[in-house]
Amino acid sequence: MPMLVNKSPKLFAIALCFLLSACSSQPSLESTAVTPIIAVPDNPQDLGVLSAYSDPWEGFNRRMYYFNAKADEYVLLPIVTGYKQITPDVVETGLSNFFNNLAEISTFINSLLQFKLSVAGETLGRFAVNTTLGLAGLIDVATPIGLAAQDEDFGQTLGFWGVKAGPYLVLPLLGPSSLRDASGLVFDSLADQQVMDELGMKSEEELYLSLLNSIDVRARLPFRYYGSGSAFEYDYLKLLYKKYREIQVAR
Amino acid sequence: MRILSALLIIMLAACSSKQDKVVVIKPVCDLAYSPYQATVTGYCQEVAAELPKSLDIINKSITIKPLDEISEVFWFNKKMKYSLIKQEASAPLIFIIAGTGASYDSVKMLSLQKSFFQQGYHVISLSSPTFANFIVNSPNTQYMPGDLAHDAEYLYQVMNLVWAQVQAQDEVEASSFALTGYSLGGAHSAFIALLDEEKQAFNFEKVLLINPPVSLYNSVSILDKYFDLRDNRQAAVAMFDDIFSRFSTVYSAQRSSKFDQGSIFSLFKNVALTEAELKLLIGASFRISSSDMIFAIDVSFNTGAITYKNHTIGKLESLTHSLQRASNITFGDYFDRAMLPRAQREDANTTKADLIERYSLHAIEDYLIASDKIYLVTNQDDIILQAGEVEYLQAIFTDRAKIFPRGGHCGNLDRLSFVEHLQTIFQGGLN
Repeated sequence: MPMLVNKSPKLFAIALCFLLSACSSQPSLESTAVTPIIAVPDNPQDLGVLSAYSDPWEGFNRRMYYFNAKADEYVLLPIVTGYKQITPDVVETGLSNFFNNLAEISTFINSLLQFKLSVAGETLGRFAVNTTLGLAGLIDVATPIGLAAQDEDFGQTLGFWGVKAGPYLVLPLLGPSSLRDASGLVFDSLADQQVMDELGMKSEEELYLSLLNSIDVRARLPFRYYGSGSAFEYDYLKLLYKKYREIQVAR
Repeated sequence: MRILSALLIIMLAACSSKQDKVVVIKPVCDLAYSPYQATVTGYCQEVAAELPKSLDIINKSITIKPLDEISEVFWFNKKMKYSLIKQEASAPLIFIIAGTGASYDSVKMLSLQKSFFQQGYHVISLSSPTFANFIVNSPNTQYMPGDLAHDAEYLYQVMNLVWAQVQAQDEVEASSFALTGYSLGGAHSAFIALLDEEKQAFNFEKVLLINPPVSLYNSVSILDKYFDLRDNRQAAVAMFDDIFSRFSTVYSAQRSSKFDQGSIFSLFKNVALTEAELKLLIGASFRISSSDMIFAIDVSFNTGAITYKNHTIGKLESLTHSLQRASNITFGDYFDRAMLPRAQREDANTTKADLIERYSLHAIEDYLIASDKIYLVTNQDDIILQAGEVEYLQAIFTDRAKIFPRGGHCGNLDRLSFVEHLQTIFQGGLN
């Protein structure tokens, strides 16, 4: 039995790799197709950021990107629009603040794990002030008094400890990530789960709360798939995500 | 600066920020002024105009070309997109045309929409004929975008269709028509005004060219040099990486991980980009626009520059190779290798010089001198103008020209003196 337990992550990893590499994104060319006039630069280094990040799971990622764009259009955005219509602005802001306040716990843990004591202190201060004076986090009183919001997640913690980002990975519904950041996400959501358990919530209530949280997160994201109108949006976003996470980890 | 705004969106998004609702526009920044800085971050040294905080924008789309003729790779671009902002009652209507590679809802378009709505206009915003959504929906399969007179014909067709649609669907009543556009859209406006004299569908009362190029070729030659990937690739790439790493260092030192308008200015201030670096960012942004444009043209016209000719691109197919190929061509190449051969197919005697002349305001100079309704506003230090071109514009438009001393290229569209000047020009239209 222990053997099996030890082996199953490996099996899972193999299955995942198979899944990820199963769909190819390379063009299947017609017999009449003509090679493009303009060549790809010989030396990949000459491309700078354009070739800085390989994308071994591109086939899977592009498929998922397409799925996400459709899911966003037909499922998520209509829900968000409905939510915004039926919820008064005050309530929306209150809920946003509430979820942000809960997220401070994971920021706090992650800043401790990176020995960022000032960040941890500030976050703890925010949490204390907002939870008490801010009525369980519904009002953000910490920002106006100069306690700045921080942002640390387990992906960054892993990065801090030298874990490489790994291949780019587009997650279903959640969008751009990497192997490392996706693993981090699992840890952070386990932490959130723990908090909700501590609050003594029933699993049903937890489900509603996380649903509401997801809607709130999407409502606050100004991003729209293909809002750029560019056919290269997938590539641009990959680049920006990778760069942005590098910057965050270096921070 | 699409790459920058894209970057900002990602940052705002990833920081789960609350600021996207209340963007506080700091009226005055303390960045060191240069025309390049003004082009990148806006002429933020001048006070911003009081404009409406938000607008009720109706996002619309119209079928112009049969949808099955549009490639699957552009599945998200089926139908041409545009927007309408409506006054309560009958009012004058203005069409705004976006600049090179820009969409109807770009940041600069938003500033102009606010200004004209505030002045009592219905506002219809159209993407540039160099924007992918326009290219793949345009019925045009013959002329390359950038060919100003032909672009004007297709824009005019689109304007007629769109006008019919908003009358039918949104009950818009227009008392008169006006037309404007910034950058390349400014040059388009001039050619459309001329076309309208003949077709008379709108009989524009006023036409305003905002920071237009005098010569398309001259302007793109300037921008091509800012990010010189052909002759100076390694240095350009290294500089780009350096800018990124400095932004990241400064961001790391910042106390909060959050972003708002104020912290963006302070970020730029602390990074202290040199003139060459600002130029590089402008050039890079231009390259991104032209890559998108060239790809869309390839798909629509089957030209095979950066894609496989005679190949139908699937919607899940990797386009990375095309993006990498696109970095290997300049707009100058596009002119020499795509626009010129096309024009020569029509008339073998056409020379490059003819074409440069044709794609410039020189081609319709007599009309611009004679027509009272056409106004011009630009900046003395607009970076897309070559030496002597500001003087040329002044000479052509005389007292219908307003030339601000500062602002770079379109850096002052939301600044006080610019918006006040728009009011001076357009208040006559409201009587």
